[in-house]
Amino acid sequence: MKRILISVVLIFQISLVHAMDHQKLSAIVIHDPWIRTAPPNAPMLGLFMKIRNNTNQDIRLVSVQATGYVRAELHRTINHNGIMKMQKQSFMPISAQGDLDLKPGSWHIMLIGPEIVPKEGDTSMIYLEFNNGTTQTIHVQVGKGKIMMKHNHYTY
Amino acid sequence: MSKTTLLITIAFIVSIGVAVFSTNTNTDYQFLKRQLKVSHVLHNTNKVLPNFSLVDHNQHLFNNDRFKGKWTLLTFIYTHCPDVCPTILMDMSMLKSILIQRGVETVPEFVAITFDPKRDTPEVLKTYITHFDKDFLGVSGDQTQIDQLIKPFGTYYERSIEVDGKTVIIPNGQAMPESVTSYSINHTAWLYLISPDGEIFAGFPTPHKPHNMADDIELLISNY
Repeated sequence: MKRILISVVLIFQISLVHAMDHQKLSAIVIHDPWIRTAPPNAPMLGLFMKIRNNTNQDIRLVSVQATGYVRAELHRTINHNGIMKMQKQSFMPISAQGDLDLKPGSWHIMLIGPEIVPKEGDTSMIYLEFNNGTTQTIHVQVGKGKIMMKHNHYTY
Repeated sequence: MSKTTLLITIAFIVSIGVAVFSTNTNTDYQFLKRQLKVSHVLHNTNKVLPNFSLVDHNQHLFNNDRFKGKWTLLTFIYTHCPDVCPTILMDMSMLKSILIQRGVETVPEFVAITFDPKRDTPEVLKTYITHFDKDFLGVSGDQTQIDQLIKPFGTYYERSIEVDGKTVIIPNGQAMPESVTSYSINHTAWLYLISPDGEIFAGFPTPHKPHNMADDIELLISNY
């Protein structure tokens, strides 16, 4: 009887840990990431996605790294009285239970200095780091955006 | 008909003629302006393009004459732009496809002049611009001439550099510190329709909606 009781407790604990892990993993969900197709001599490319924050805390995307590029930066394009201004950001805010849309003409990740400019259909590995201690690795395909978004749906 | 009646009739006809003439010359396409969806008529005979002599991405002279005798859709870009300029060029590509699909009689020539000739040489522009459409034409050249050319369009740009983590703006025309190798450019993002007389006829502010732009371009060209 004692053995059965210990087994039940262990199974319960394992399930609890697994559930907590799953909750932690799905706290931030990345939807429809895509890198915009660019000319073969493009010095930089734009990376876009929708970031969903399923927690009750505001979260910040604080850092991005991308394999195959010199560096990646967080940016936002702002229309200031008709002048399109590119502003480097130290973080991107995703409000509690909210979304942040990274899209052309708005928030975006700038992938600077590609070793080789990827072609349409190629993928790049991207590491995202948030201020709640979580990190995510996503494989993002190069495309024209709207067409890609119909086919891709990434959750982590 | 008495002499007085004849004079009154002539005076009436002349006054109508004067009224019609003044309407056509002073209102500057008022009727057309009301029908446009996403563009503005910029026709102004006082705003003449300065004489310019630039070079296209095939190393050919690109001067005022290149606008004559055909419609041109012109924009200003730079190839280190990760967001706004690729969006403009993709919109232009979509717009051209829409116009061709509609079977319109006149499809403008699509031209992009760089704000940044130091980095955007004709060779760089050729590879970059033709990615969006093989017939798009990139234009580079002397920075001073480009700075003069953008003025009548109302186009504006400024360079943005980072110094000790802070953003510093270098206005158009002001020299950059020699140590600066990396910079971005803040800029207006209009498209301009140039008439076959080589004059600015209409402008399209951002964001660009290719289907609505195609409607306006058809209207603008047919009413020119």
